[in-house]
Amino acid sequence: MSQDSRNARAAQPAAGDAGTVRVTLTVNGADHELLIDSRVTLLDALRDELALTGTKKGCDQGACGACTVLVDGRRVLSCLTLAAQCDRRQVATIEGLSSDGRLHPLQEAFLRHDGFQCGYCTPGQIMSAVALLHEGRTGSDDEIREFMSGNICRCGAYPNIVAAIREVARQGAR
Amino acid sequence: MTLTRPVVVGAGVDRVDGPLKVAGAAAYSSDITLPGMVHVALVRSTIAAGRITRLDTGAAEQLPGVLAVLSHHNAPRLAAGPTNNLGPTPPPPLQDDRIRHHGQYLAAVVAEKPYQAAAAARAVTVEYERTEPVLRIEDPAGELRTDPFGMDATRGDAAGALAAAEVVHEATYVTAENTNNPLGLFATVAQWSGGRLTVHDATQWTSNTCQTLAQMFEVPESAVRVYAKYVGGAFGSGLRVWPHVVLAVLAARTVGRPVKLVLSRPEMFTGIGHRPNTVQQLRIGAARDGGFVAIEHEALQTVAMDDENLEPVAASSASAYACPNVATRDRQRRLNIPCPGSMRAPGEAQANFALESAIDELSYLLDMDPLDLRLRNYAQVQPQFGLPWSSKALRECYQVGAERFGWSRRDRRIGAMRDGRWLVGYGMAGVSYLWWQVHCEARATIGSDGTGYVRSAATDIGTGTYTVMRQLSAELLGLELDQVRFDLGDSNLPWSPQAGGSGLTGALGNAVHAACRELIRTFLRTVVNDSASPLRGCTIDDVAVSGGRIHHRADGKLGESFVAILARHGLDELTADGVSDPPDPQEVGMAPAGAFAAKFVEVHVDPDLGLLRVPRIVSVVDGGRILNEKLARSQIIGATVGGVGQAILEETVTDPRTGRIANANLGDYLVAVNADIGEIDVTFVGEPDQLTPLGTKGVGEVGLPGTAAAVANAVYHATGKRIRSLPITIDDLLG
Repeated sequence: MSQDSRNARAAQPAAGDAGTVRVTLTVNGADHELLIDSRVTLLDALRDELALTGTKKGCDQGACGACTVLVDGRRVLSCLTLAAQCDRRQVATIEGLSSDGRLHPLQEAFLRHDGFQCGYCTPGQIMSAVALLHEGRTGSDDEIREFMSGNICRCGAYPNIVAAIREVARQGAR
Repeated sequence: MTLTRPVVVGAGVDRVDGPLKVAGAAAYSSDITLPGMVHVALVRSTIAAGRITRLDTGAAEQLPGVLAVLSHHNAPRLAAGPTNNLGPTPPPPLQDDRIRHHGQYLAAVVAEKPYQAAAAARAVTVEYERTEPVLRIEDPAGELRTDPFGMDATRGDAAGALAAAEVVHEATYVTAENTNNPLGLFATVAQWSGGRLTVHDATQWTSNTCQTLAQMFEVPESAVRVYAKYVGGAFGSGLRVWPHVVLAVLAARTVGRPVKLVLSRPEMFTGIGHRPNTVQQLRIGAARDGGFVAIEHEALQTVAMDDENLEPVAASSASAYACPNVATRDRQRRLNIPCPGSMRAPGEAQANFALESAIDELSYLLDMDPLDLRLRNYAQVQPQFGLPWSSKALRECYQVGAERFGWSRRDRRIGAMRDGRWLVGYGMAGVSYLWWQVHCEARATIGSDGTGYVRSAATDIGTGTYTVMRQLSAELLGLELDQVRFDLGDSNLPWSPQAGGSGLTGALGNAVHAACRELIRTFLRTVVNDSASPLRGCTIDDVAVSGGRIHHRADGKLGESFVAILARHGLDELTADGVSDPPDPQEVGMAPAGAFAAKFVEVHVDPDLGLLRVPRIVSVVDGGRILNEKLARSQIIGATVGGVGQAILEETVTDPRTGRIANANLGDYLVAVNADIGEIDVTFVGEPDQLTPLGTKGVGEVGLPGTAAAVANAVYHATGKRIRSLPITIDDLLG
């Protein structure tokens, strides 16, 4: 037997034996009771269980930021967060950002400054930016760049993303 | 009518798909869910060459939720896909026991839940008979393909001129393998229903995906419908119908239910192409006054087993500069690697680094300013054909770029400029992008409510096609933006070429132009004998359109609305088709020009730590007519960011022993993040191109090449270190 087949066998998973858990997620203000596999990530719970597909999966390894959501107001990578960790916590996603059909100022600023192209990283960028404003990390362009660097934009819209965040931060300061 | 020179350019039109995208409401293929949908996970080879001796799916089949496991044991034989203008379809999956590369698909597991499919995929055991893989570009064991594109160019006698040249620069340049890595995981949702196939895919080319799947699964094209309404980036990786797409369709047919297959990020490194690495020899001969007498460019790149990849590298050097003696030669080494494919500016991204680095090196041998050297050898006519360019404002790119950048402040001495402890370097490069144009079709309708509906099977991968085509349609039909819908991303719509080669805006724009013009003609034909119409007897040259009306060109009051014409003739709508085809250069007596650009870059290098920063890049682009300056600027910014990645970050690392990609994730494969990018200044210059009514040239790729060379040239200016391999890393600068 070759080395490769031994590795493949050793990697056999123990599927289905971890049990299910009951989790109450409060997403954008609404409670959702879920009975899910204990290993389900917050990202998969949002997308597959709650059909909230605005939150994107770009790597599933915590490296790209596309899945950024807020949990109790702090930005987290939902692909590296188990849904079970979020029981009875406040989860905010892109779908909850606009109210009464009116876009959030950051959404408007991203639109105006063309802070995206394909749009796939955009929900994560915007959720990160929402947190950034609260974190007070918008003092300079360099600071915005640094603290937005967990969110990859492969289309390369970074200068426009910085411009959008800068504008909203300044409006807020007035 | 005045449709031949539409003035639709809007600096401030926001992306029309933007509101959906910022709300997370744009549905990419990975977001599609169908009733009863099940999921596919893939088993990939862990060796790079050899054959499968045993593949056991028994344990996997027993796991919860598993519906089927496909492998070469039970997969049906599939017909080969078509060959198109980019080459053949990649080899279909699961057809035999042969291993061509590490990461090749060996089995596909279908299960109720994605995690059940993933778990079962890991339970498939494979044994191999391993043979020695051919993995290195220099390895003579790999087949060497000469002139694989039939584009090797010669003019004059390059070898003879080099031997006699007063000054000769000769060097070898190396570029790393890069991986497209669009952020959107490629996903295919496939559903068979009564012999008809519906697919939602991450593709840049719905028409081709439709045609390919029809051919491979031996059903009529009319039975296949491919959607790609939103694509999460692609940068060339969505130009081909990759094996995972075929597997999703096969899985759906096997289990009789809709399936979804989402590639993992590691699978995105082996399954959807990559920019091949190159080794390039450049020889440039010049007279003492700087005039080029000869350019020889030989480029070797990699290609996969049983595959072809259209990636002319050296070929582009034939038309970049005025030079009497030129020889370019492209070669490919066939290796046990995943299929290379197009990645933003395929070929040119690598070639430009070599050529523009070599010219910079030559400028030091000649003791000339590198900008002056380029101007000294400016190609006023297309040097290979001897024809005038259909448009060329590269000189203006250089001049405007130099001004905006402050090139005159450059101290020519090496290492003379500093910012505190950082060494400062200024570098520049020129870009002459190849022209690419293909057949395209579009259809335009005006309905009884006076609104327009224009469509084509094209895709918008973030480039802005939805937006600029709606703008263009509105302009051509005399309607407001919100009175026109532009639809795309559906193979049932009129045939469109790929969103690639910087060619779609031109091809589609001209097809939309033709369709809208034909639609106006159709309205005029409708009223040709209509005594009630003020437009009776008018031809298209007599009229103009505005405010939802057709009216006499000379008298805006003399005309009537689309609504009135339709109502009086009892019509619900009128529809017309349009096509565009690339003109024959000989016939029009012009050499078709792609976009041109000049890049000016400032780098900062920490001499003790080898840190390299790129705080400032100035790009000046001749893209012909720019339909939406805001979105075109974003294309240049984004491509420049991609160029920074190529220059200083990106390298797909393959284990030379096993053929496994060692950094197949976004933590280890570095792409530019926000903090890597400083000020990016973009300016457009030039005039509408003369070749087509629309006058666009396409700006999706021209922003990338030139970046890496300008960075390398700036690094030399800062440090005296000439780095001839990409990416430029800390160890290069400390060495």
